[in-house]
Formats: sequence, structure tokens, C-alpha cells
Amino acid sequence: MGGPVAAGSLSDAPARERCRTGIEGLDNILEGGIPKGNTVLVAGSVGTGKTTLTLEFLIRGAEVGERSLFLSVTEATEKLMENMRSFEFFSPALIASGQLTLIDVPVLYAKLGLTQEELGIDEIDALLQTIERLLEETHAQRVVIDSITSLGYRMRREERIRDFMLRLSQMLAHHGCTTLLVSEIGPLPGRYSLHGVEEVVVDGVVLLGNARRQGDILRVLQVIKMRGTSHSRAQYVVEMTPIGLLLAPHLKGDRVEEG
Amino acid sequence: MVREADLGEKLRGLTSGAAVALRLDPQNYADNYLLALTAAIRDVGADPNTHTIFVSVTNPASLVWTIAQALDIAPERISFVDAISHIMMEFRNPLPNATYLESPRMLENMMLRVEYLLRKHDKQRNLVIVDSVNSLAIHNPAPLLSEFFHIFINNLKARHVLAILLASADETTNTVDQILSLVVDETIDVRVEGDEL
Repeated sequence: MGGPVAAGSLSDAPARERCRTGIEGLDNILEGGIPKGNTVLVAGSVGTGKTTLTLEFLIRGAEVGERSLFLSVTEATEKLMENMRSFEFFSPALIASGQLTLIDVPVLYAKLGLTQEELGIDEIDALLQTIERLLEETHAQRVVIDSITSLGYRMRREERIRDFMLRLSQMLAHHGCTTLLVSEIGPLPGRYSLHGVEEVVVDGVVLLGNARRQGDILRVLQVIKMRGTSHSRAQYVVEMTPIGLLLAPHLKGDRVEEG
Repeated sequence: MVREADLGEKLRGLTSGAAVALRLDPQNYADNYLLALTAAIRDVGADPNTHTIFVSVTNPASLVWTIAQALDIAPERISFVDAISHIMMEFRNPLPNATYLESPRMLENMMLRVEYLLRKHDKQRNLVIVDSVNSLAIHNPAPLLSEFFHIFINNLKARHVLAILLASADETTNTVDQILSLVVDETIDVRVEGDEL
């Protein structure tokens, strides 16, 4: 046999170094964590826990000394701070020390003078340069963009979004960042992004959603794709607790699913 | 059939990681229920190195908490996962030491709430009481419930947590019997003799 083999893997390829998300259940699914440098789409409809998951990923990283950067497009950072305080393990000192940085993207837009509704090639260039500067300034090892869907809205055209996504992914990989891109999708199955191009470019897709059981709604998580790991493809139920996200196997019982 | 002191002593003698079913005789059910709770909550839970997690599906946590208070149990020694108050519309005064599930059908969340409380109260010997298997069987189909108990009890065993499952003998259908036989190490029939309580 060759080098070290990922636990549970049948492959004899050397296991890639992992970025532990700190969410124990997810790290178990991913055989230790997200392969370092991967860009991962966290897709889900409203209220499925996308932001909570990404915040925990960053706080856990900052806790272990990894510089973490949150680019918030949709929510004000004050509101994110409130969300983070619900975690028992969050300390405001992580922000004060610069270990964890929260950036309001609308403020960046204003600073860059990107006031027009549709972003052209030059504006997209300016946005990418600004993001790169932030990566350099913060020395970020973990990055979250919440949401990539909202960024894409103002690019309008599919080819622009695709080009932006490709350049963004390359830039993040170049800087060695492990990145979660939040993707807002509708409740219908089959797609992992609104614009339809994001999932093609990224290294991984984590899908969050709702499952119904006799009228009750369970929050569920499933890893659809993750380059560099032979991950579980099973569905898990997620519980949000003050000690972080906890995962349990989604019980099947006599459930028969279509499709 | 079982004396209060005997049941308490028997439960105290169980090893960590054991799973035991207490099958309550339906005659004088209230007395048998009280006997089972006294033995489990007071006699086993009295150990200072034990934290009790009570999963209430039959009665609201507030009722069980009233009984626990009568048994001199301090609030920091017991936590509740209440899966019945919401659907009974009995949710006016939530207990500080309880977490409430919207429905007894949310079995995975039940497991995860227990997991959360076990991590929060990291004691040498934790105790989980499920009240009851029959109530869960009312709300969940048998295959789902079997899968739930299989995973839940094995997880508790792996964590060396003592599990006590309450069941009613009269209502015990083949389904409940089969589930219990799969997951528990021992079944104890509980019936108060004469006027013992």
C-alpha cells in the first residue's frame, strides 16, 4: 500500500490535509474535514441553517488559530454578532484580536463606488481586487461569502457569473483558503444554486434542507460532492445547539422516497 | 412483585452502559409509575456523579418535575427533553431545566437533544430515562421506532450511559416487545405489592 489512506476510504491515494470544520458530525462525514484549499458551496433554502453552519466553521477555525474572514452580503455584521453570541464557545476577543474579521460587502460596494444596479466587467474586476486585498490583509485561511447568490444578482449575465466564480475560486485556492460560499436556493430539489453555474466551479457541495415527517419539519444536511475525499452521501438531521451543530443519521424507517 | 427498596437497589447495581426496561403493570398504574420513577430518579440519580436526563413523551416535564421535587431532587441534577407539551398545548410555563421538542415524531432531534445534555453535563455516570416506549409507539411507525432505539441505545452504551426505558405491560404490543428485546439487556416487571407505597 502507498501513503496514508483516509479512514474508511478504499482509495490508496495519499489523504489530503484537512481543514476541520469543528462541527464534529460534518468532520466525521468528510473523513476529518474539508480538504484544505477547497471551495465549497453551502446550498439551502431559507431557514435551513446555512449562515449558522458557516459562522461555526469560522469561529472554530479562529479558536484554533486560523485567521477567518466573513464577507456578508445579505446581513449586517451587527446581526451576525448577535447570532454568534448564541454559541457558548464564541468569544468577542476573537474579533478584537483580528482572528475573526466580519466585513459588510454593501459597505465595500459604497467605498468602491459600485452604485449601479448591474456590475460590468470593470466593476467585477474591482470587486475581485478588493476581495484579494482583504485576503492579503487578514491572512485568511478560512473564508465565508454569504451569499454568493446575492453577489451574482448584480452580475446578471451567466457568463459574467461563471467568469467571476472561476476567478474567485482560483484566487481563494492561490491564497490557500478553505472557503464556504453560501448559495440560496428554492425548496425544489435538483439544483444547488440560483444561477446554475456555481456548483460546476466549486470543489464541494453541502446541501441543507427540510425533510417532512407527518407534518413535522426536520433540518437535514447532505454532502453531495467533495473533491479529495470519499465522503458519506447519507442524509443527516441537524440540531442547532449552544455548543454548535449536532448531527444524527436521518432515520428511514419504512420511508420510500421517489426519484 | 417488586419492592421499592429492591427495585432501587437493583437499578443502582446496574453497570454503566446497561439498558433496562421497566415494564409497569397496568393495575394500580399510578403506584407502579411512582415506584419506577422513585427508583430511577431518586435511587439511581442520587449519586452525586450522576446527571439524569428524562425524556418525557407520556407526561409533560412539568408533572415529572413536580414528582422529582417531592423526591428532593435538585434542579441541577436533572434535565428534561419534553416531546409532549407542545402537542398537548401545555407550554405556558417552560421549565429552565427542560428543552422542548415540537413533536414526539422528531426522533433524531430527541437523540441530539439528549446528546447535547450529555455533553453539557459531563458526569462520570449519566442516566437517561425514556417515558415511555408505548407513547413513542403511538406516534411513530414500528420500523422507524426500531431504527431509532437501535441507534439511540447503542450510542448511549458506547458512552457508558445507563438507559432505563419505561413501558406499560398491558399496552405492550408485539412491536414494543420486539423493540425492547432488541435493545435492552434486561426487563424488570414492576408491580407494587399490596399497600407498599
